[in-house]
Amino acid sequence: MLDTGIKVLFEGNNITRLLDGLWVTTRIALISVILSVFFGTIIGIGWSSRFRIIHVFARFYLEIMRIMPILVLLFLFYFGLTRIAHINLNAEMASIIVFTLWGTAEMSDLVRGALTSLPKHQKESGLALGLKSFDIYFYILVPQAIRRLLPATINLTTRIIKSTSLVVLIGVVELLKVGQQIIETASLLRNQTAAFWVYAVIFLLYFIICYPISQLSFHLEKKWQS
Amino acid sequence: MHPTDEIILSLDKINKSYDDRIVLHEISLDVKKGEVVVVIGPSGCGKSTLLRCINGLEPIQNGRIRLNDQTITDVGTDWTKVRQHIGMVFQSYDLFPHMTVIENILLGPIKAQKRSKKEVEAQAELLLERVGLLDRKTAYPRQLSGGQKQRVAIIRALCMNPDIMLFDEVTASLDPEMVREVLDVMLQLAKSGMTMIIVTHEMAFAKAVADRVLFMDNGYIVESGKPEEFFNAPQTQRAKKFLNQFKFSENREDEA
Amino acid sequence: MITLKKKILSLVLSFIASVGMGFSHQTNAAGFNTLDQIKKNGKIRIGVFSDKPPFGYVDSNGKNQGYDVYLAKRLGKDLFGDENKVEFVLVEAASRSEFLLSDKVDIILANFTKTPERAEKVDFAKPYMKVSLGIVSPDNAKITSIDQLKGKKLIVNKGTTAEIYFTKNYPDIKLLKYDQNTETFNALLDGRGAALAHDNTLVFAWATQNKGFTVGINSIGDHDMIAPAVAKGNTTLLNWINDEITKLDKERFFHADYEATLKPIYGDKVDPESVVIEGDTH
Repeated sequence: MLDTGIKVLFEGNNITRLLDGLWVTTRIALISVILSVFFGTIIGIGWSSRFRIIHVFARFYLEIMRIMPILVLLFLFYFGLTRIAHINLNAEMASIIVFTLWGTAEMSDLVRGALTSLPKHQKESGLALGLKSFDIYFYILVPQAIRRLLPATINLTTRIIKSTSLVVLIGVVELLKVGQQIIETASLLRNQTAAFWVYAVIFLLYFIICYPISQLSFHLEKKWQS
Repeated sequence: MHPTDEIILSLDKINKSYDDRIVLHEISLDVKKGEVVVVIGPSGCGKSTLLRCINGLEPIQNGRIRLNDQTITDVGTDWTKVRQHIGMVFQSYDLFPHMTVIENILLGPIKAQKRSKKEVEAQAELLLERVGLLDRKTAYPRQLSGGQKQRVAIIRALCMNPDIMLFDEVTASLDPEMVREVLDVMLQLAKSGMTMIIVTHEMAFAKAVADRVLFMDNGYIVESGKPEEFFNAPQTQRAKKFLNQFKFSENREDEA
Repeated sequence: MITLKKKILSLVLSFIASVGMGFSHQTNAAGFNTLDQIKKNGKIRIGVFSDKPPFGYVDSNGKNQGYDVYLAKRLGKDLFGDENKVEFVLVEAASRSEFLLSDKVDIILANFTKTPERAEKVDFAKPYMKVSLGIVSPDNAKITSIDQLKGKKLIVNKGTTAEIYFTKNYPDIKLLKYDQNTETFNALLDGRGAALAHDNTLVFAWATQNKGFTVGINSIGDHDMIAPAVAKGNTTLLNWINDEITKLDKERFFHADYEATLKPIYGDKVDPESVVIEGDTH
């Protein structure tokens, strides 16, 4: 059973199809993470500031993103937006928007937490040097916050990568979906138990993208430890 | 070097309170150019708050502070400008941990004062050499001892070319064997004519460095005078009591 | 909690709506493409399954195949003279109606069973297939009547006709539910349930390939009609599809479709007439 299953992997373009699926997964996750870090940092800084209105907005936004299941958001942006506002996004674009919205919310909370956990003296030393608020954030607080944030950001990235499997429900064919297509087709048409091998390859592919990320974080943590 | 007659910093009846707790009562103080004022008093007496009010880290409720004949407590004061003339060193190690020694020193002069890197770096190297830390120029704060960190923090403030330096218990967190190296730098600085306000618990140092000693308690300036007068013949009961607390340890040191 | 979620949802919806109004409208106000617009666009978007062989699946070369796809290609050929003018949109069972409602596809050809509930949201054309439920069980404990299932576990797929039928009509039969076909059938292989209920077309196919298992109940429940669906009110497209199906019936197209896509799986055990609808069945 097992050795007939492994053959399925090498039929037709199956390997290429899995790699294409991996690329879709990576593309959605990577773009979302980059945008999330960018917007999340901006909102997180605002959140750590003394402007009350930003606190209220950021808190409200984070709560919504936590309450709403990702699936609901995906449906909302892919189907809902067209029905309500006649904006016809393609499925991948809708996915990137949703994961960016979610990632931004989580990231802003992480940035806020990291900034407020920095000793008060760091900010005051900057003030005492006559630096402007922007410079204090840009040169002193944010770089330190980012170092503290690294493990949590890596964690968020891998969470986003794993959650991308939800996008199949709006018709995006990513890694896991390609795997399912191969398994379903092989097992019902030719009675081959491809599942074991296909999932093994999928595991390997997820590992291939997640491993360098965790290595990078390990390397940076070591470099930045203080 | 003796203080001149030119008044560089002037506090006029400043009041400061947190909610309904008053921490500074009607504090008035003139500091002359080149003068070294040491502020002592029990913890919680308001001496650190006083320093923090001078460079705007804490707002005051009323009164007026003038620096170089300009009022700096008006609404709309650009504190980033004012603080470039006031150097401050804190009790806790406040170097930026992600920057090397030289990066720490250059940040303010380059970003706040827009001076050229070349010029500031030359100045920084000169000062680092003077305190014996030139070889640690590219070290990170975590690679330095507490005493070395505080010396770098002093140089970081000095490189802004301030008119006055504020020291807020800069040796309080140090291991005893490192206190001396920091105090030596401050003493050197005082001799070079820098105007300084020093909050400290090091009585021997205070006696050696001060042109004038202020004794604060409960938000009031209780006594003010020349160090030899104050330490030898304090006028008030409270000052006597405070100084007595240090007698024991000084006696012990003498015996040793 | 649920009402809070609903409140927030409606808030977000109205927010999106207000933001959305600022953008240019890419979809026309009707929310679908008429036959003329499709012709003008030069392509037709058809929603098919990508992992439900033998009806809609992707083969190892990445090409769409299956009974539904066979029809989809023919529609493309008849409309544009070229079957490559069909843009396949891969859909999931649970959201098939949504793809039509939000103008992501022009036609759904994804084994879409005609039900009164669905007919309120979308317009069904003439059926091109029929299906009822079949029950497959191990030879050594063969289930030949529903009474035998009392107190035993029956394996079904989530959201399928089988689940709905048994929940409604036989609430005392315990159901074991899975998402993917493979999981469902593996559960039967592992003996986690006494039998498995699914579309009879599928259980026939599976039983031919798995020794030791037989379809003991060929057909229960109603005959469900499987038909192409279009967006509600898209009459021009609907009429065209209906005309097409009438024309295709005459040339016995669906028998050819069966021969090409289903027979290799079902073998000779299944009578094509139990699946294909053609001629006077309409």
